[in-house]
Amino acid sequence: MPEVELRRIVKRFGKVTASRDIDLKIADREYVTILGPSGCGKTTLIRMIAGIIEPSEGKVLIGGKDMEGVPIEERDIGYVFQNIALFPHLNALDNVSYGPIVKGMDEKDIQEAPRCYLELVKLLDRMHMFPSELSGGEQQKVSLARALASGAKLLLLDEPLSALDARVRMDLRYDLRRISKDLGLTVVHVTHDQEEAMTVSDRIVLMRNGQIVESNTPEMLYLAPRNLFTANFVGETNLLEGTVKEVLEDRSLLELRDGTMVEAQPSRFKSGDAVVLSIRPERVHPASEGLRSVVKSITFMGTYIRISVETDSEDQVNFDVSTSEDRDYKIGDRVDLIWSKRSGILYPRPPEGVQEAIKLE
Amino acid sequence: MVAADGLEISVENGEYLCLLGPTGAGKTTTLRVIAGLTRPDSGQVLLDDRDVTGLEPEKRNAVLLSQTYSLFPTMTVAENIMFGPEIRGMPEEEKKRTLVELLDLVRLTKRSSSYPRELSGGMQQRNALARALATNPDVLLLDEPLRALDARLRIDLRYELRSLAKGLGLTVIHVTHDQEEAMVMADRIAVIRYGRIIQVGTPREIFDHPATPFVATFVGQSNFFTGNILCSGHGRTTTVHDDEGRIVFARPSTLPVDSKVVVAVKIGNTRVVKLSDAYLTGTVERTLFEGRIVHLDVNVPGLGRYSVKLPASRRDQVAVGDEIGLNWDVDKASVFSYPEDGLEKELKVD
Repeated sequence: MPEVELRRIVKRFGKVTASRDIDLKIADREYVTILGPSGCGKTTLIRMIAGIIEPSEGKVLIGGKDMEGVPIEERDIGYVFQNIALFPHLNALDNVSYGPIVKGMDEKDIQEAPRCYLELVKLLDRMHMFPSELSGGEQQKVSLARALASGAKLLLLDEPLSALDARVRMDLRYDLRRISKDLGLTVVHVTHDQEEAMTVSDRIVLMRNGQIVESNTPEMLYLAPRNLFTANFVGETNLLEGTVKEVLEDRSLLELRDGTMVEAQPSRFKSGDAVVLSIRPERVHPASEGLRSVVKSITFMGTYIRISVETDSEDQVNFDVSTSEDRDYKIGDRVDLIWSKRSGILYPRPPEGVQEAIKLE
Repeated sequence: MVAADGLEISVENGEYLCLLGPTGAGKTTTLRVIAGLTRPDSGQVLLDDRDVTGLEPEKRNAVLLSQTYSLFPTMTVAENIMFGPEIRGMPEEEKKRTLVELLDLVRLTKRSSSYPRELSGGMQQRNALARALATNPDVLLLDEPLRALDARLRIDLRYELRSLAKGLGLTVIHVTHDQEEAMVMADRIAVIRYGRIIQVGTPREIFDHPATPFVATFVGQSNFFTGNILCSGHGRTTTVHDDEGRIVFARPSTLPVDSKVVVAVKIGNTRVVKLSDAYLTGTVERTLFEGRIVHLDVNVPGLGRYSVKLPASRRDQVAVGDEIGLNWDVDKASVFSYPEDGLEKELKVD
């Protein structure tokens, strides 16, 4: 039962605090992604779970047992690194067999287990190839098979897809989730890629500056982020600054900078509060009357077209239209925008300014 | 090894061209040949109709920004930017003015005396860009300029980089493995594989009218159906059937009746429909919430896994285990003759 628990973890490197008071519980068989920008402390966290580094304060528990002083090889974990770390002089099969041999598993397991995991990543037909003969994606699949071959039920993935081509990443992230679920693994996966996190996870833990910002299912993080930073980091969003006019039972009314009145979800704000409205591009629609704006750019995105406008309230807004749309948009066109009040979410306007609050690095 | 093979392409003045392909396709080699850092075994490079094949890199007026930025670690932001002008002996007055302009352009004025190690990844990228621009090139060659940055930051910087290049009227050749990046940034995309250019076109042409099954799946992911043509010909919907008696439809094709073909349709253009309207039926194996869309894996018996992207607003209409129908707009489906080396090899993206 490899559930993982972090209790009030603090990690300091000299003057830098990489983790501040981290409390986190990961359930047995849960797939959790630790997501955040470079330098947010996500790698430090996974390394403490693995036992590569020790926390300055707090406890790491795996399967209910305190891991203090327990080295990585005794923690019963599989670990996959960002930079593919296969033995170059061993073929795929020997790479995967390494763990079972070192662990002194019995002969039958040493024969069978590596083949079983190579089959799982669909590389059995390439087992005699050396890493240099395999593509990047194939090498990372061998790394995964190697991490699993010792039978570990806790899998730690440290940016496992970052070194691969975008298109290869897309296929592999579906495989990662499928294999972990088929094997009933508990997974902790670190990434800076919010799309990857959304696709693979049961739950996403979003980090920034060494702290957990928010932790929830991909769906809740995208549809109902509790925090302005989350709203912008997990998927794209439009942010409009305004002042609350009135809060009713079914909606909030706010005034934008040019005096235009728009609607959002009901909220706890009071009249006069300075707020930021977050609205996803796919929720904004053109209409005969609404927030007035001018088209600034038009981008073909494949299955939809992204239109960027500047509103009369001096906000930048993106919205998406279908490629089969009748209207032919041109730069400089005037367009009015509306959205359903349910899809607009309000946040207090941050004292440090919106740009500072959503800064990505 | 042949890294670039009979490669031919022309780029217009002021155009933003993306050279898109998987790792090892020959993208970087092509860029280095244009920059003059690698000599081609045969062929010519022309800039402004002038043959520059034998010219040194610094005499080409084309500058390459490498993937790792290669900033000088012991120089400040400003010193890095001024390195080129210094060597070329630019007059003092002009140097000062150039520096102020470039720092402002890449928003690093406040960091001009910082060292590279003190900058974030995005700032380092902008510093390297300013250094490349300091020599006042006509052609900017970008080798995976956004690869080293975080995914979310990359999305914002795509727009920024493109509008900066457009604002300066530069001709840009930008190498990338990321098809989304290419779609968003390019005026035209050249898809490259095994050292050859497979297709050149606007993002829309490449996405809607891929030249090969590989392009169909590399740019935007496709579902595939293999069968034989029942009806085809100019202006006529192509009808394709397989051994199981399934029939699907696709845009007109001149491939002859009975020929073995592959039909490709983008997963984003594959629709979930009533069983009575379906070309194919299958069982939903998995649904994954991805934000603006929901990704469905559908097991179509005998054909394997099809993928579908539904708007997230429709996510409650489909559940795992449901039997659903799939079809597509005839004009969104391409027909290709069956690849000689087999479909699996043709579709390999890695």
